[in-house]
Amino acid sequence: MSLEIQKLHVRTEEREILHGVDLKVEKGETHALMGPNGSGKSTLANTIMGSPEYEVTEGRILLNGEDLTEADPDERARAGVFMAFQYPATIPGVSVANFLRMAVNAKREEPIKVKEFGQMLKANMDLLRIDREFTSRYLNEGFSGGEKKRAEILQLAMLKPEIAVLDETDSGLDIDALRIVSDGVNAMRGPELGTLIITHYTRILDYVTPDFVHILLNGRIVRQGGAELASELEDKGYDFVREEAGVADAR
Amino acid sequence: MPASFVDDRRAAALELYEREPVPTWRRSGFWTTTLRNLRLEELQPRHYDPVQAVEDLPDVVTDALPDRMADGRSQMAGLLVQRGASTVFASVDPEVAAQGVVFTSLERAVEEHPELVEQWYMRRLSHEEGKFPAATAAFWTGGAFLHVPANVRLERPLQVVYLIDEPGIAQYAHTLGVVGDFAECSLREYCLAPDFDGQALHSGAFELYLQTGAQVKLAHFQDWGRGEVYDLSTKRVEIARDAHCSWVPIHLGGRLTRQTLDIITAERGSNMRHTGLYFTEGSEHLDLFTTDLHEQGDTTGDTVWKGVLTGDSRASYEGLIRINRGAQNSHTYLQTHSMLLSPKAKADAIPSLIVETDNVSASHGGTVGEIDEAQVYYMMSRGIPRVEAVRTLVEGYFEEVVQRLDDESLTALVRERISAKLAAAEDNVVEFTAQR
Repeated sequence: MSLEIQKLHVRTEEREILHGVDLKVEKGETHALMGPNGSGKSTLANTIMGSPEYEVTEGRILLNGEDLTEADPDERARAGVFMAFQYPATIPGVSVANFLRMAVNAKREEPIKVKEFGQMLKANMDLLRIDREFTSRYLNEGFSGGEKKRAEILQLAMLKPEIAVLDETDSGLDIDALRIVSDGVNAMRGPELGTLIITHYTRILDYVTPDFVHILLNGRIVRQGGAELASELEDKGYDFVREEAGVADAR
Repeated sequence: MPASFVDDRRAAALELYEREPVPTWRRSGFWTTTLRNLRLEELQPRHYDPVQAVEDLPDVVTDALPDRMADGRSQMAGLLVQRGASTVFASVDPEVAAQGVVFTSLERAVEEHPELVEQWYMRRLSHEEGKFPAATAAFWTGGAFLHVPANVRLERPLQVVYLIDEPGIAQYAHTLGVVGDFAECSLREYCLAPDFDGQALHSGAFELYLQTGAQVKLAHFQDWGRGEVYDLSTKRVEIARDAHCSWVPIHLGGRLTRQTLDIITAERGSNMRHTGLYFTEGSEHLDLFTTDLHEQGDTTGDTVWKGVLTGDSRASYEGLIRINRGAQNSHTYLQTHSMLLSPKAKADAIPSLIVETDNVSASHGGTVGEIDEAQVYYMMSRGIPRVEAVRTLVEGYFEEVVQRLDDESLTALVRERISAKLAAAEDNVVEFTAQR
């Protein structure tokens, strides 16, 4: 059971951003994908989710061996892929609770019973220390940065995917919010979930220890290792990877 | 000679009607509302026999009145139905009537309460406003009259229905409402037609007066179906001292609609909320002109209009805020939004402002936009199919207006109709949003 990315080349209308990325996330594993701005991290996350903004020109994305490269985002989600957005969209007029119910039901044959949904929602809100009144607000409308990220993790908890991609979930969070979000992610770790944490900084990795670390630079994975690679990066910065990889600091 | 004031007006209006050419409304060079396809000479008023019970009314009426019966008792304070040129059903709850409320056809009110009607009849409307206001003043039959005496509070809504259920009809409709000092009520006016082939005309006048401290929830629900119904109407609400009106017009269909909707805060302390919604489809043409007029100071206004367009429909909304000389310390706000769900639809939103005094706050804004693909992508990433995502986003966009109906059964009806219209336009909408 895994998400497998094979020799992935991705472009926007202007240019190619990923030049052949290979990555495999097995269920039960936590991976960190790190890289400086412009290295292609968010492109990879959104390509995994199926964003219409990116075009895969070569390579494949497989979930449990099934080719999802051409699938629409909703099909990928129902197959078990989830992405926590760096900048989630605002959905006016749709409450958090209604949105969650719609999303939960999208994966099911029979709609979830009201009571079961309520219990699940309450348990996950307690986990993320979210106030009750939060669920009646329109999704992301007027939310602070921290509230948006918590709403993303709440969705992750409610949808129980097989593979979760967290796109810069740590950016813009103060230390308390980061701790809450990290606790939530840790609570969901387990043999049923594979996680890919995409981040610029090593901060979140102080709270969520990865099994594997990959460094993305100019659209290529240039180094891979265990959690110690993140510590090394924290000490030396991205320049050491750049020198090692022999890449000039240009996009 | 109890009704001479009506007859005098009819005579003057007829003279003007015959003199005036069929109008064309032009605005800023690129927007025109023309009646050149209306075959006015082929349309005639048609009379119908009364019905005994609500159930005997055509389905298009009973379908729109979901709360008409519960426990065998009407959930309405009163219901008045005009079919074509005839009042075919009129009932008012005996408890409501016992409180002195008059709710009957305008024709009958002129007979039975001439002094009361004369005091208010066309106080703020004039047959000189144009050919169709003149036609309505000259030719109206049936009509509706509401008087809620001072201090009477009605919980349940009063409902007026104008029904056109056949082509070939010209319907001239006039509603007059007066809500007395500190009285409270909720009034809904429905304009309904089933889908039919052929033309019809609804030429309407609506006037409502809120006296000191009155509180009114007013809703207009227009769904003329997919036939060729032309709606040329003027609606005007006047709010006296310390009174409040929340007015929610809902426009869900009609071949061509040209309406003037005015709300006048006429005395100090009066305030209003005007929240409208439209959904146009096919080749419908909608032209709305609203005025938020502040005649005196210490008044407040809040106008929000939201529309969605599909097919190759056209919708124009012009919203004017006008604050008269001396109306200081007025505060008002107007915003209008249109959402295009088809490449062939065209929307126009023109907020404007005339302020003749100082020390007021008045602001306005307008947008014309499309569904944001980022929102659709976000929803799809949660497993929600594109069709459902688009529908949810449109419903969410309208939610602010629908909430302001503050009326469960009407809210349900509006949601249901919008959802059906979106389903009908689904293929187009999905294609359009996916292409961009």
